[in-house]
Amino acid sequence: MDMQLKRGLLDVCVLAAIKSKDSYGYQIIKDVKPYIQLSESTLYTILKRLETSDMLTVRSAEHGGRLRKYYHITELGSKRLEDFKTEWQEIVALYQFVTGEEDKK
Amino acid sequence: MNKEVFLAQLEERLSGLPADDVAERLAFYAEMIDDRVEEGLSEEDAVAQIGPVSRIVEQTVAEIPMAKLVRERVKPNRRLQAWEVILLILGCPIWLSLLLAGFAVLFSAYIVIWAVLISLWAADTACGVASAGALAAGIACVCQGDGLQGLAIIGASIMLAGFSILLFFACRAATAAALHMTRAIAPGIKSRFIRKENVR
Repeated sequence: MDMQLKRGLLDVCVLAAIKSKDSYGYQIIKDVKPYIQLSESTLYTILKRLETSDMLTVRSAEHGGRLRKYYHITELGSKRLEDFKTEWQEIVALYQFVTGEEDKK
Repeated sequence: MNKEVFLAQLEERLSGLPADDVAERLAFYAEMIDDRVEEGLSEEDAVAQIGPVSRIVEQTVAEIPMAKLVRERVKPNRRLQAWEVILLILGCPIWLSLLLAGFAVLFSAYIVIWAVLISLWAADTACGVASAGALAAGIACVCQGDGLQGLAIIGASIMLAGFSILLFFACRAATAAALHMTRAIAPGIKSRFIRKENVR
């Protein structure tokens, strides 16, 4: 997949992984794994980016005698997911245009 | 490799980054390993799943903007003394011009590489055009009855065409190499910044 496209999609995937309840790094990797390849270093960058753009918040909580970071989606993050759905309609329309043009040939 | 060795290697390789940034990354990877161990994996397997340190460093370097790396590197570890500032300002005609000259030399070396490439392409195009011209001239000669001379010119034109085809492949390979080099410049500079302590 094209790098730029994948990057945008990964942001949304990570947001979707924490949508219903707060999650942590390894859980996000496992949740996203069936759909898109995501390495630890990429996830780190995405989480940082989403945090600085206020789409998620981070809190540390104790787990089994150590600290684990949990990520919580913000209102802005939820809005991003909603926007993604509308954007996707446009992409689907674009896809039909592209494949339609090919069929004409 | 166990967790401790992995984290130590990662810390060493990322030593050019801001200290708090490195600490946060290390904590992130430590958590990733711990979570896998909790699931029943051995430390070695968990580390292996996360992937080689070199790949993590490579991706990290690619993701951090150049400006941030340079800023971190240029930032002095302590405040400069007044006399150091004065020396820096007074010495500016010397060090600034030397620095500029250094950059200019590197930049012109880069330009020279592309200039050579452009000349090669020009030479190749010239060969091609000359070959077509010679072919036309040769045919004209033959038509006018000067068969021997015409054949000689056509032969020369075929030789030129062959040479231009060979040169075309050479040019293409050289251009690809130059492009590859250009693409490698930014990551190359970045990795120099990120590993400052280990280089010395």
